[in-house]
Amino acid sequence: MRIALFVTCVNDALYPETGIAVVRLLERLGHEVVFPPEQTCCGQMHLNSGYRTEALRLARRFVSTFDPCDVVVAPSASCVGTVVESYAHLAEAAGDAGLLAAVRSLAPRVHELCELLVDVLGVTDVGATFPHTVAYHPTCHSLRVIGLGDRPARLLAEVRGLRLVEIPDATSCCGFGGMFALKNAETSTAMVGDKLAAIHAAGAEVLCAADNSCLTHIAGAASRLRASLRSMHIAEILAAQGAP
Amino acid sequence: MTRSFASSLPFPGAAHAALADSQLRSNLARATTTIRAKRDRVVGELPDFEELRRAAESVKSDALARLDELLLELETNVRAAGGDVHYARDAAEANAIVTRLVLASGAREVVKVKSMTTAEIGLNDALAAAGIDAWETDLAELIVQLGDDLPSHIVVPAIHRNRTEIRATFLEQMGRRGVPAPSELTDEPADLAAAARAHLRDRFLSAKVAISGANFAIAESGSLVVVESEGNGRMCLTLADTLISVVGVDKVIPSYQDLEIFLQLLARSATGERMNPYTSIFTGVTDGDGPRQFHLVLLDNGRTHALADLVGRQALRCIRCAACLNVCPVYERVGGHAYGSVYPGPIGAVLTPQLDHVASDPVAAALPFASTLCGACFAVCPVRIDIPRLLVHLRGEVVDATRAIGPTAESTAMAVAGYVLEDSRRLRLAERLAARAARALDRRGRVTWLPGALGGWTASRDAPLPAARSFREWWSAERAGSSGAAGSGAARAHSGTSAMRALVEAMRPRRQTPRAPSGSARAPGADDARDAVLAAVRHALAGSPARDGVPAQRAYRRAGEHVCTSPLELFTTRLEDYKARVVHVPPAGLPAAVNEALARAGSRSLVVPADLDPAWLAGLDRAAIAIVVDTPELGALELDRTDAALSACAVAIADTGTIVLDGGAGQGRRICSLVPDHLVVVVDARDVVPSVPDALARLQPGSPQTFISGPSATSDIELDRVEGVHGPRRLDVVVVLDVRDTEVRDGEVRDAPGAPARRGRR
Repeated sequence: MRIALFVTCVNDALYPETGIAVVRLLERLGHEVVFPPEQTCCGQMHLNSGYRTEALRLARRFVSTFDPCDVVVAPSASCVGTVVESYAHLAEAAGDAGLLAAVRSLAPRVHELCELLVDVLGVTDVGATFPHTVAYHPTCHSLRVIGLGDRPARLLAEVRGLRLVEIPDATSCCGFGGMFALKNAETSTAMVGDKLAAIHAAGAEVLCAADNSCLTHIAGAASRLRASLRSMHIAEILAAQGAP
Repeated sequence: MTRSFASSLPFPGAAHAALADSQLRSNLARATTTIRAKRDRVVGELPDFEELRRAAESVKSDALARLDELLLELETNVRAAGGDVHYARDAAEANAIVTRLVLASGAREVVKVKSMTTAEIGLNDALAAAGIDAWETDLAELIVQLGDDLPSHIVVPAIHRNRTEIRATFLEQMGRRGVPAPSELTDEPADLAAAARAHLRDRFLSAKVAISGANFAIAESGSLVVVESEGNGRMCLTLADTLISVVGVDKVIPSYQDLEIFLQLLARSATGERMNPYTSIFTGVTDGDGPRQFHLVLLDNGRTHALADLVGRQALRCIRCAACLNVCPVYERVGGHAYGSVYPGPIGAVLTPQLDHVASDPVAAALPFASTLCGACFAVCPVRIDIPRLLVHLRGEVVDATRAIGPTAESTAMAVAGYVLEDSRRLRLAERLAARAARALDRRGRVTWLPGALGGWTASRDAPLPAARSFREWWSAERAGSSGAAGSGAARAHSGTSAMRALVEAMRPRRQTPRAPSGSARAPGADDARDAVLAAVRHALAGSPARDGVPAQRAYRRAGEHVCTSPLELFTTRLEDYKARVVHVPPAGLPAAVNEALARAGSRSLVVPADLDPAWLAGLDRAAIAIVVDTPELGALELDRTDAALSACAVAIADTGTIVLDGGAGQGRRICSLVPDHLVVVVDARDVVPSVPDALARLQPGSPQTFISGPSATSDIELDRVEGVHGPRRLDVVVVLDVRDTEVRDGEVRDAPGAPARRGRR
């Protein structure tokens, strides 16, 4: 299958290893990955911060960039959520019927990585080996916006050597929330403090998630506390084949 | 003047103080964890909970879309039932109407049912200014009022106080206003509830005027619905001569039957109970039973402003269950006061800015940003308000309003970011520059300090360094020439100068057309508040897409569709869950069972409805138990001296363990089943139906109805449920079996004729 990668702006600039992992994983599974080079950002930050004018422009840009593609994958649950859930709201608010129609046509073809693997490619054993104790953090958008459910757990269950541990009260928010982490930094910090305690209680060596933004938050707090927690995107675990 | 939210700081500042209060955080964490587990358990019992949510969404949306018609229908039906209807455009008008009505009655004191709407308009202060003393009678509202505190939760306003703090408040303050707390008062919730009962008892019994809100207003019958736990609501609704209900226009629902949805959703979502102890449904004035004067005050106060906003409108579906507060991770950390409004938590963050107009108030403008958009609120909302979507929408309104004034550091940064992200080449350039600039901030692979607003992040968290080589550079190097490199042509080359010009252009503040104030628009020439409110509703609806006329979705289990192998068995266990005592007897065993119930409780006097079947009393020990026959002249004080009441019932609901009284044969006036401390209800087994829809199908919309699910109770102290506040503290239910019928329905005869079989566990 020919799969277009939307790497997302955060991964592009801060976590290229996540994008590289997606490419290697999908290629290993026998698929062709293409990277439309005009892609930039889905507009989530602008949209969720109230900057609708900019968000609308970025939404139009995303739609025109990826509309020619049959299947699009993004290693970010919140970016996929923005495309499949929020773009229609934006188009409605702007009274842009053309954009709304284009979004309705494109959205079903845009998949988060785990969803692509399990639902579209029908695979849970991706041939990965990762001999570590891993906790999966179900990010809010992966859980409640795109409904990823147990797909990540099913994928991780098939990874050789991996021991999956459950974070207590796993579904509660880590406190990131985009601009929330800046505008309400103290509340955000209180939330991530509780999340770190829960991850510690789970005994995880590695923390993974379907979104690097939440991981940036949790890992940033852990790093400040000098806590020994390694965080990585689930794509990197699924792409792993040795014991790095 | 009592404390108010008027001096609140915007959210981040208010949260700072709340986060420093470790007692508050532990009170909240414990309370919200408890209530979440209770809710999940009772919600999980309903296989059609999702269908009920969708139906609730659909019914409320439909009601809002034809609010103008429904308000007129409600008004007509309230008037037809002997009530008066007033309209108020805003808080000041509503307060003036209520104050005038109270003064006209000659009363200088009123008792109040817990009401968000009267808190919203600051009614107590307005009454105080007119020399009228308002007594809050809900336990949590009493705690707040006595402590000169502010409510911090919609359902449990004193959730931020623990039992020790409540005891101290009662000991210090009760004596200053009236009946003092006993000096030996402990901090046991049951003791604290008993102190509240004693403190308020005389106030109820001598009340001339009562003030309530309403959970629902039914257009087709003109009925109001008040959902409560303690019995203070029933006291106010039935004991006063004059009842004034202040109700937001958003509370209207079309039909009585619609209640079958909301009565299944509300208590489960709010307190994690299958049904709250008491629900009162009353229609205007009932002859010989309850208040002689009824006034309905219909309030706009910003609601038509929200109604005019097609996205914002859905907040008006809210039924004030507070499930969104209980699951909100932000609320759990900071509590309700940080929201600076009587409506805290996620729903407050979308309701307050719409009622208060975002642009004019910094507290309201900060609220849409007081959320991580985690979506836990939407997942539990019984009327499916998409709170995250609404928050994002309101953020847009705030940003538009701010930009209309001029650029800020944030709006400039966002404009620049938008400009960069609009072109992949600019983004590539920016990524390179950022990677280079970040070297200055590199502290052994981590960024520990960032400038300006970004410093909020690095105050407590390290930031990642940009990658030395971005993904797109990796792709160009490693996969160059592969198919993906073929561009669609969307990217345009920019010369350095044109890029710079575009950058400057992007940084120029964008002029936004300020939104015309819509909801507050008043019809020209309409001096009268009624015409003005109705005109504002019509004006708000004028911009809506044409109504499709599709009836509300009702995919949940309707009357006759609940499969229940043994309704009687279920009814019994569910009622026993609420600490009621239930016995099953054959018809011949009824008199003995009634006598036994009274004897066990030590009840020595009994009030009975005038039309009670005398055979029910045949087993009474007349020497030990005095019988008082209910008449309209029998006063509250006399009833209060009577130990027990005996009543028949109209229908009983198995699923929720509920008894419904409707003023029918053998039931007497509503105060009879309320004031005496012990209630004995006789239920004919053939009247036990499986579900709420089954029960509503058997009831007449306009009759005075009381849904009773166990003895009166409160969970207002640390969400620890204790039985017995203002209503009867003891409930006995005698189920009269029809033996043949029981064989058919239950597959077994439960009890042999003769002595009543004891079913209670206590």
